[in-house]
Amino acid sequence: MSDAKKTFLYDQHVALGGRVVDFHGWLLPLQYDGILAEHGYCRTQVALFDTSHMGQFILEGSDVAAGVSRLLTHDVTRLPVGRCRYTHLLNERGGIIDDAVVMRLGEREFLFAANAAPAPMDLYWIRHHLAGDAVVTNQSEGWGKVDVQGPLAYDVLAPLVDGDLASLRYFRAARMTCMGVPAIVSRTGYTGELGYEVHYPGDALPALWSRLVEDERVHPAGLGARDLLRLEMCFPLYGKDIADDSNPLEADLELFVSTVHDYIGAQALRKWAAEGVRRKLVPFRSETRRSAREGNPILADDRPVGVVTSGAFSPSLGVSIGMGYVEAPFADVGRRLTVETARAKLPVVVSEKPLYRKGTRRMKPSELRARTAGKS
Amino acid sequence: MVPKDLLYTDQHEWIRVEGDVGTVGITDHAQRSLGDLTFVELPATGSDVAKGAEAAVVESTKAAADVYSPAAGKVAEVNESLEDDPGAVNRDPYGDGWMFKVALSDKSELGGLLSPDKYAEFCGDEA
Repeated sequence: MSDAKKTFLYDQHVALGGRVVDFHGWLLPLQYDGILAEHGYCRTQVALFDTSHMGQFILEGSDVAAGVSRLLTHDVTRLPVGRCRYTHLLNERGGIIDDAVVMRLGEREFLFAANAAPAPMDLYWIRHHLAGDAVVTNQSEGWGKVDVQGPLAYDVLAPLVDGDLASLRYFRAARMTCMGVPAIVSRTGYTGELGYEVHYPGDALPALWSRLVEDERVHPAGLGARDLLRLEMCFPLYGKDIADDSNPLEADLELFVSTVHDYIGAQALRKWAAEGVRRKLVPFRSETRRSAREGNPILADDRPVGVVTSGAFSPSLGVSIGMGYVEAPFADVGRRLTVETARAKLPVVVSEKPLYRKGTRRMKPSELRARTAGKS
Repeated sequence: MVPKDLLYTDQHEWIRVEGDVGTVGITDHAQRSLGDLTFVELPATGSDVAKGAEAAVVESTKAAADVYSPAAGKVAEVNESLEDDPGAVNRDPYGDGWMFKVALSDKSELGGLLSPDKYAEFCGDEA
């Protein structure tokens, strides 16, 4: 634990009684009040997450859009300014180096939001492969981030922001001033709820955090709740559900894969697409509270056909859920399979994603404005 | 929190002995280590449990664990309400969170269990 790094909010986590763990080399809270309680805060009020461990890279240059598109499964030359895209950085074999959100902040400026563990590799990869005059700055050295997530996220954040937060639609980002400090605010998240990610200078972040948790609707939340929330939405977790030995086609992410532009890994993906993938990442649900766990075998007629990559009890659904890779012929929605847990054989059914369907993430600006008007 | 009227195991179970019946659950230390409970599997009423043998299973948001019976006997009653509300074990581990009752077959076995003081010391040493 001695080598693990502290985020800009470490003292806040300790002061609030967070149970701090080493997460990919970062000291972060697993929980404060309890994972189930924090999950509930996010689904009904607002959960506040410290996500300062994630990578933030600013990519700038006159031909940066074309350059970065050669590294991503999405052609960002056609991405309008102010929009965000969920996308993938691939190796030549089509394996996923990272899944990331890329935000177009200007005609010649992008923010690349990376997962913590692969961030150093991403930075190396982008710098190594980005052609032209593009400059890559590792903003995460001086900046952190908080995720303000939940149906009341707009209500708690809007008073602190100098700018039209209501107009910021789902998967949009903008530079805004937050508590007098220049920030990058994106309407994104990892929970399925209305929410914002506030990229913020590290030295000012403790003041923003403290101000937010003063609001009784805001509850600090840890990695445990975050993992449950994302699993209910079937958002893959890098390092568990996807990694550099899995490709976006088998991870059921072809929706995010462009077929019209060329990028590193595209050739390998075309080959996979033509031949058909051998395995698929599928969401599943059971009829009981007993959980499948990472690594449990998945069986069909007593024959192993796959493996669980994520599993947990879903508080929203009241039953256990999970994701795992199964051989392609067993990946159809409705297919009944068995997970072999350490203690029992658990019947599950392959389900449509997302498993949780009541999320508020797509709430419209008009709905947000109506709420503010109703209060004044 | 280690109530004085119970006996304990080094696997963090407790037993409350009233006459020939022992009520069993997991300790406050155990529920705190496990975190929020999401599933409890109880033994069948009428089944025999051996001392130190697996009798129940608990799962939490973080882990799964076996619950071992602190004493041998026949399961007389189980707390079925935990099947829909495993959180009772977190809220009230020594009360509403009890798991099963055993008709004790050999009360002399209880002598091998930990006293409240010894158990508190054990948890302290472990921490």
